[in-house]
Amino acid sequence: MTKNIPLKKSRGSIEDAANAALLISTFIGVWQIVFMLGIWPKISLPSPAMVAETFAKIILNGSLEQSIGITLARLLGAFAISITLGTLIGFVMIKFKGFGKTLNSFSAGLLSFPSIAWVPFSILLIGFDEFGIMFVVVMSSIFSIMISTYSSIRNIPPIYVDAARNMGAHGVSLFRHVTIPAATPSLIIGLRQAWSFAWHAIIGAEILMSIVGLGHILSVGREFLDMSQVIASMITIFAIGLLVDRFILNKLEDKIRKKWGLDNHR
Amino acid sequence: MTKLQAKNIVKHFDHNGNSIVALDGVNLNVEEGDFICIVGPSGCGKSTFLNIVAGLEKPDSGEILLNGKPISDPGPDRTMVFQEGALFPWLKVIDNVEFGLKMAGIPKEQRREISHRYLDMMQLTKFADSYTYQLSTGMKQRVAIARALAMDPEILLMDEPFAALDSQTRDLLLVELQLIWERTKKTIIFVTHNISESVILGNKVEVFKNRPSKIKKEIIIDYRRPRLAEDENLQKYYHQILDELKSEVIARTKDEIQ
Repeated sequence: MTKNIPLKKSRGSIEDAANAALLISTFIGVWQIVFMLGIWPKISLPSPAMVAETFAKIILNGSLEQSIGITLARLLGAFAISITLGTLIGFVMIKFKGFGKTLNSFSAGLLSFPSIAWVPFSILLIGFDEFGIMFVVVMSSIFSIMISTYSSIRNIPPIYVDAARNMGAHGVSLFRHVTIPAATPSLIIGLRQAWSFAWHAIIGAEILMSIVGLGHILSVGREFLDMSQVIASMITIFAIGLLVDRFILNKLEDKIRKKWGLDNHR
Repeated sequence: MTKLQAKNIVKHFDHNGNSIVALDGVNLNVEEGDFICIVGPSGCGKSTFLNIVAGLEKPDSGEILLNGKPISDPGPDRTMVFQEGALFPWLKVIDNVEFGLKMAGIPKEQRREISHRYLDMMQLTKFADSYTYQLSTGMKQRVAIARALAMDPEILLMDEPFAALDSQTRDLLLVELQLIWERTKKTIIFVTHNISESVILGNKVEVFKNRPSKIKKEIIIDYRRPRLAEDENLQKYYHQILDELKSEVIARTKDEIQ
């Protein structure tokens, strides 16, 4: 039985890859047909080949790699701040219950606040620089982290805490060896959500505030009426979002859920 | 020698703004090596009493003395086996068993040695590296017992640990627990609503009264071990306890209807 599992798994991933390839080629095919119908002029809707050409151009002159690098560096920096601060505030919310409850309601309101709406505030407060962009990203993702930390810890089954205290755990050791691991599966879900908010925010902020980065080359494409570059940037943004979610966050969540026995194993 | 003394334990609960008396002066003396079973109608506060002994809940008045010293906080000298679900799913079986030892700051090698000894006693050696979701309910309770014993507690507290088990597994564990008790000479307080469980396990059975609860009667069961569920000679103890309990269960049902 154990021998069958890896076989089944690899067959599954081949199937997934085949389905993905089919979806992508269908998309490109439809795009090509619409292009050939000539509904829009070439300048408004380039062909897949023209976009591929633009891709080759911006990869060869290094501007795509540079943009990806800068965007990811900003994003990771801001996301790290968001996680650190958001988690700490979440802990404080747990410690002081009344405060936590109030802040939780406010954070829920701010969760649905559009990230782009932070941009003018950030420009006037901080300016058109790295910190201004990072501020927007932090404000867009931190509430999700705060809420998730708060609710994940509050929802830990009390029996775990009772059992741990019964065996002599208290204070920091209780927190480290029971509270954190017990809350982890739920914390990961919050992390995924926060990541998606942060990703929305950085592109939005870069379009409006930056002179480099993925959002910037997207907006340059628009200014020079270069639809190929606009589409190439969009595809890049989509691909990065997909890769991070599928291959990092989703994998992490799967691994933890499996270890905790939260998935059906049969 | 008196191991544990409960003196006049009183506990109230708030229920929809009404104060309900759960425990109304529980007095209990537990001698070293006793196997005490507490039986009572459901909701009579027997689990609350056990939680107070464990230090997980505080009494409104009265005190618990362990070896003559009052206790108020939870501690590894009184480890508990919970009804179910108290194993940590993020730890392997062996790390679950070692948890308390780790909290006590015992070095890794010594922890491994102790935990292997108790896993062995509970016939779980093969499953040391499994996660808890891979175990059956019966095996999980065996891990929970190993985990509690590994702390080498002064008193082992058991809160309906076999309630969720199928009857074959339970019969098996009832025998195993008696053997472990004889082998380790542990003092045990075992809470159950199941009369035959209490007759098989206890050398003293404390019958709890319906709320407001106190101990109604202590029945001493002096009978050879290991006792088996099907032993006819245990019937007379069974009926003795049943007679005491019957009126309490009726009173309890009346409470619930009103």
